[in-house]
Amino acid sequence: METINKQQKRRSRIFSAEARVAYICLIPAFLGLIFLTYLPLVGVLGISLTNWTGLKSPVFIGFDNYIKIFTTDPYIKDSIISTIYYAALSVAGSMIYSLFIALLLNRKIPARGFFRAVFYVPYVLPAAAIYVGWSWLYEGNFGFFNYVLSELGLKKILFIADSSFVVPSLSMISVWLAGNLIVIFLAGLQNVPAVYHEAAEVDGAGGWKRFRHITLPCMTPIIFYNLLMSLIANLQVVTPALALTNGGPGNSSRFLTYLMYDQAFVNYKLGYACATTLIIFAILAVFTTLLFRTSGRWIYNEGGDDK
Amino acid sequence: MKTGKKLGAGLILAALVMSAAGCGDNETNTASPGSEPAKTPGTSSEKVKIVYSMWGSAAEGNTTQAVADRFNASQDKIEVEVQAIPWENYMTKLNTLATAGQLPDTGMLKEDGVIQWSSEGMLNDVSAMYEGSDSKPLDSLAYKYKGKTVAYAAANEILLLYYNKDMFDKAKVPYPPAALDQAWTWDQFVETAKKLTNDKNGKHPGEDGFDSQSIVQYGASVENLPWQLETWALSNGGGFYSEDGTEVKVGDDASVEAIQRVADLYLKDHVAPLSVGQTDDGIQRTIIAGTVAMATNGQWNVGTSLNTAKEEGLKYGVAVLPYMKDKVTISTGGANVVFSQTKHPKEAMEWLKWYNSEENNWDLISSGIWMPTLDKWYKDETLTRKWVENPNFPPYDEYKSAVVDYAQSSAAKPAAWFYTNYTTDFNTLLGSILGDVWTGKTTAKDAISKNLDALKAAHTGNQ
Repeated sequence: METINKQQKRRSRIFSAEARVAYICLIPAFLGLIFLTYLPLVGVLGISLTNWTGLKSPVFIGFDNYIKIFTTDPYIKDSIISTIYYAALSVAGSMIYSLFIALLLNRKIPARGFFRAVFYVPYVLPAAAIYVGWSWLYEGNFGFFNYVLSELGLKKILFIADSSFVVPSLSMISVWLAGNLIVIFLAGLQNVPAVYHEAAEVDGAGGWKRFRHITLPCMTPIIFYNLLMSLIANLQVVTPALALTNGGPGNSSRFLTYLMYDQAFVNYKLGYACATTLIIFAILAVFTTLLFRTSGRWIYNEGGDDK
Repeated sequence: MKTGKKLGAGLILAALVMSAAGCGDNETNTASPGSEPAKTPGTSSEKVKIVYSMWGSAAEGNTTQAVADRFNASQDKIEVEVQAIPWENYMTKLNTLATAGQLPDTGMLKEDGVIQWSSEGMLNDVSAMYEGSDSKPLDSLAYKYKGKTVAYAAANEILLLYYNKDMFDKAKVPYPPAALDQAWTWDQFVETAKKLTNDKNGKHPGEDGFDSQSIVQYGASVENLPWQLETWALSNGGGFYSEDGTEVKVGDDASVEAIQRVADLYLKDHVAPLSVGQTDDGIQRTIIAGTVAMATNGQWNVGTSLNTAKEEGLKYGVAVLPYMKDKVTISTGGANVVFSQTKHPKEAMEWLKWYNSEENNWDLISSGIWMPTLDKWYKDETLTRKWVENPNFPPYDEYKSAVVDYAQSSAAKPAAWFYTNYTTDFNTLLGSILGDVWTGKTTAKDAISKNLDALKAAHTGNQ
């Protein structure tokens, strides 16, 4: 018993020495987080309880902004719905699309390097150029897609000019832009041990079975990471609304971040915008927590559980 | 774990203390500038220093400073310093400066900010600016709050009907009228637009076999950005607001009907392309691209895009807008204001008056982007000729009638932000409400009556 105790003590001493170094090394990161993230966050909370417009000094109004948001705000409901709708479509679409492309690019196909570049390129193009390009494709009167449709004798689709098509249309762009997910999936696929596949092949497992029972389980940590990143990024969507739709038609693409931008920098209701920001924060927190909570059930961890 | 918590708590505490100290610093900072100018007056030989803020790049700021230097050299009382702030941050920066009590003496202000700033007591009355002058700005260019003139527009703009002459010639249809007394009624406008709308078999709307799904050329496009849409509500005897800006009238039958008529150009008449207010490049998409024969938009297009297109061979013309019941166009222009924080309102006004004279903005005016504000340019033909007779403009007679005379006629009404507050809130909401009207999923009547209370709340700033 004694030896074990001694060992534990020694270990804890080593730990605390290690811990000290670790904390010292972490100070810069902590400072950054505190001054650039947590304090501003507290500031946002503070401002959200005022009626600040930037012109006069802020007056404390309690929870009035929040009450207004949930009772009389003409945009918030549509905004929350459209954001979640967009995020759901984009996340599902880009996960399936990029895993599929990654699987193809992981095979020994001719000109593999070239194709890998091709699928990654959209991700590095400047956003403004991308959206201008897509706006020409989607244009409701003379756009390329509608030109094709009318040449085929079909009825025109208004795409981003139609409140029921705008979110799916924008999600399409987001899926097309998912080059970074493909790269991460590819890296993950290359880490799936080849021996498993070989063994399974010897046992007579077909392609689908091997994918289902080897590739997919081995990929779950990567899938989780991509899912999380893409969920957060897509819930914060704002660029397509700014570049293409101005939140329209109607409120159909008035995403939460766009709504907040509009309140803060177009209408100068800074207090109100801060309250909206915290609502966005809450929504993100709910979805992220949900994802983490359920992750234990489906993530296969090769290194064992180290909680 | 414990050390971690302590360390964390310590860090947070330190941070809080530091940030509190930071606040303290800020307060002393803001106090100081107020005391500074106290030194400036005194000896009469010293010039009064005025800071003028404008939106634009540093280079644009230098150009304006060069103009200000001429003013500084022309007299020995006032010294003007120009402060250029990028357009994207302009209003944000001014907001911050206002909070800190460090606003410039005078400066430009976005159209929709004038009444808001005025209602918060941030602007000086400038009614006296043109007292005793030989020429005053046009009446439609004075920003008014509670009966007082709080700013004059720095430039003038009105809405026009542009048309592509080649498309008219090809269809052998006479051009739209440039003279106000010959303005088309809405029905004449729609009838003409039908003759200029072709599907891919060359059929026009209303003819047998016309296919609205394969239109290759449209006859007309009426810009439906909310602030421009007000023209039609006014023209139909309605409006967005009552004349004094206190009541919302967009729910009136006349206003709703006008908006529906604009939507019907696409939905029923099939003469207009769909536009749901997502972009602000109407003239490029229509007249210049050659996809639409007639399009309404602001005068500034003459200088921002049409002059280049004209050099490249585009033949376009300008005409007065069609009308429903009353002949109406909307005039607007960004404001030059004197901030109430200034210690030198008189000198600020003197500078503005000098600076606003057309000679100092000649580049913008001669290129066709701005129209002059002073009435002498509209009334004195030698001055009008000096302004319009240059290759950036359409032929003199046409422009003189459709723009110069139109702008000083009784048809020219000030845009809503000249006399009422919260126009951005209102226009954003109205734009969002009308989204499904343009595509025909709902009618203007349903959309507006359902949201009338919200619109009224937006108008009072209580949305």
